[in-house]
Amino acid sequence: MNELEQKSSSSNQQSSPTQVIIPPLAGGVLSIIPGLGQLVTRHIWRGILISFLIISIYGLSLWRLDETDVAFELFPPSIELTDLSRPQEEAVTYALLAMFFATIAYIWNIYDGYACARGKSSPPRLGIVFILLGTLTIGGHITEINLGKAIREIDDIGPRLSQILWPWNPDKILEYDLETTEGVAYFLASDSASVACAFGPVEQPTVEEGEPYLVIEPDCGQPSGQFTPSGMRAEGTKIKVQGFNFIPNEPAELVVKPESVPAFRPRVNAEVITAIPDENGNFELEFNMPNFTIPAEAVGPVQVEIIMRQSQKVGAPYLVEEFWLALEGIVVTLFLALMATAAGLVLAVPMSFLAARNLMSTNAITYSIYYVVRLVMNVVRSIEPIIWALIAIIWVGPGPFAGVIALTVHTIAALGKLYSESIENIDNGPIEAIQATGANRLQTIIYAVVPQVIPPFVSFTIYRWDINVRMSTIIGAVGGGGIGVVLIQWIRLADYDSVGIAVWMIAIVVTILDYASSRIREAYV
Amino acid sequence: MAILKVENLYKVYEDGTQALKDVSFEVEEGEFLVVIGLSGSGKSTLLRCINRLVTPTSGHIWFNGVDITRIHGKRLRETRREIAMIFQQFNLVKRSKVITNVISGRLGYMNPLWSLTGYVPPKVREDAMQALRQVGMPEKYNNRADALSGGQQQRVGIARALMQNPKLILADEPVASLDPVLAHSILDYLEKLNKERGLTVICSLHYLDLVQRYATRVIGLRQGEVVYRGSREDIQRITDKEFRQIYGEEAQRLGGGGILGEVSTIEGATTHE
Ligand SMILES: Nc1ncnc2c1ncn2[C@@H]1O[C@H](COP(=O)(O)OP(=O)(O)O)[C@@H](O)[C@H]1O
Ligand SMILES: [Mg+2]
Repeated sequence: MNELEQKSSSSNQQSSPTQVIIPPLAGGVLSIIPGLGQLVTRHIWRGILISFLIISIYGLSLWRLDETDVAFELFPPSIELTDLSRPQEEAVTYALLAMFFATIAYIWNIYDGYACARGKSSPPRLGIVFILLGTLTIGGHITEINLGKAIREIDDIGPRLSQILWPWNPDKILEYDLETTEGVAYFLASDSASVACAFGPVEQPTVEEGEPYLVIEPDCGQPSGQFTPSGMRAEGTKIKVQGFNFIPNEPAELVVKPESVPAFRPRVNAEVITAIPDENGNFELEFNMPNFTIPAEAVGPVQVEIIMRQSQKVGAPYLVEEFWLALEGIVVTLFLALMATAAGLVLAVPMSFLAARNLMSTNAITYSIYYVVRLVMNVVRSIEPIIWALIAIIWVGPGPFAGVIALTVHTIAALGKLYSESIENIDNGPIEAIQATGANRLQTIIYAVVPQVIPPFVSFTIYRWDINVRMSTIIGAVGGGGIGVVLIQWIRLADYDSVGIAVWMIAIVVTILDYASSRIREAYV
Repeated sequence: MAILKVENLYKVYEDGTQALKDVSFEVEEGEFLVVIGLSGSGKSTLLRCINRLVTPTSGHIWFNGVDITRIHGKRLRETRREIAMIFQQFNLVKRSKVITNVISGRLGYMNPLWSLTGYVPPKVREDAMQALRQVGMPEKYNNRADALSGGQQQRVGIARALMQNPKLILADEPVASLDPVLAHSILDYLEKLNKERGLTVICSLHYLDLVQRYATRVIGLRQGEVVYRGSREDIQRITDKEFRQIYGEEAQRLGGGGILGEVSTIEGATTHE
């Protein structure tokens, strides 16, 4: 008897002798191992499903719990939880909830084992509901569904999205050559100002007539952060620099370049220190010597260059490198799609004649060719281009050529099918009419077949190019060349301005192509 | 001498349909023979056997004294040049220009290699324009065929037939897709060719009044067999009984305005032209 029928009808059915194999209580006891009672009483599928599902939910829950520090979570320390611990907290909640549902299902299973042994299997509703709840709960954690995160980080969408939607901000898209004007003064620094000054005074750099220069006062001292006798950390020596001959009204940035460490721009409240020269090009700036590491092996004080640097944009602005990279990418993508479409077209036309039923059903041989060609095309078409891309990358290495191969293979199959269908759909009337005038086969094809298949061929080919351009951006992301390569890189680097540039280029090209292809199709069909 | 002689013609299609059964008749040069019969009675099959779009199962077709039922290749094409066909659905290459469709009627006389280059000798082009003038639409030569009305398309079909310089015109329900007034204008063209040039016409028709108006002789088919033969005079006074013999019992159920309705009396018939 069919198991399903049995399930549905058993509630109003009196126990039939064949079903009662063991005493009902034994069925319940056996189901302490989930599903066993049902199995023994010949409810095979029910038993297998129950044991598989309940054990799976427990197993998955334990696996997720194992990945978290359960003890830590169950008995949290009194200090406030940091953000990092939250996913763990959720893991425990999810896993315990799933186990709770599984436990109810398990209890139901024991009752069901008992009921099955009585020959009156219970309606599975309760079991289904709790097994489903348990499965969905643990699934929620496995797929890292995190509504909290989605809500907490919703603010991140706006600025990033607007970066992508409008990358054409002149500050970001344009760059200038910079010309720097500097004035330099020397300063001796040591852990202790008195030590440093014992070596002074420093000989300041010589300056040409008219060049900017600095006058520094004092020219020796200590960086900030030195311990004072009272155990506090001291501020650095207060320095006054006067600048002369700078470019008027153009801000000058302070750059500190100790011998021992790379140059840096000290900041106060996250702002770099600047001075703005007056109309004569002179300024005065006071600051405390910033902290930097004086190496332990240094003998005597470290000489520090105090630099005031003016940067000026010179010449015409030029577009950032990313723009050119994206443009290069989209050109590669367009041609990648074009080459794949062209190669696909050339190979698909002969294929399509072999795959056209009306042309190939003359005898058994042609029909089997038709059948094989059609089968191959269907198989090739059902494999995603991204898989072909992976194969092509293994074959010829990453790059646009791999992309061309991948798209060509897919295009042949897709166009071959569309072409063959349009050949199958041509109107036989004109062909007969031309034949009836006494035209030979070649003339009939040229006058009656070709005019009929050209419009659909053109239309499908352009449609395919359209698809290939879209696909090649994706193919690029797995290494098939074109704009996808840089796009995926920028996404990983969170460089959303550049992502925006690439997205815009793709959008523009796809839109133009869409429009053009619909116009060409209109003209031809 | 009879231009066409059909002898004991049988046609059984691959699926077993017996479309023609022992059909025999003769056509004299200059006749306007009309074939009548219900849909499915074998009219198309008969006409298509004559230009060998369909190969008969057995029997003979003598065209100008040559049995054409078993010829192939070049001889078949040369025979086809002399037999033009006009179709119910016009069968123009819809996306091609009118002039190209007309020119295609001459293909049997042209070097096939020219078709590869698209070259058309000026003489052929001039003849095509002349044929278009004869059917009264030279100004449409540059239009696409599918931009024309049904009646215009059928006139292009006639022009294409004229390009073959045919001795025989087969017209398979040439007006069945047209409204009644257009039907007359198309058949008038065929009649003119028949009368002025002495072209032989074999035409299948549906409407009794058209049959009475144009036919010089009539044969009736029923389930692939010839069940009626009549002269022009016979058809003018065809009786209900004979009519029912050809058309079977269905004829009555079709009622007055049915297949043999009085076309010329339909009011409000309009033309597309
Ligand atoms: N290609 C074909 N294959 C099989 N049967 C056909 C074919 N063409 C026509 N027939 C059948 O032959 C019979 C005669 O058809 P047809 O000559 O088209 O009649 P008519 O033109 O008078 O309507 C019909 O039963 C039709 O179904
Ligand atoms: Mg017919």
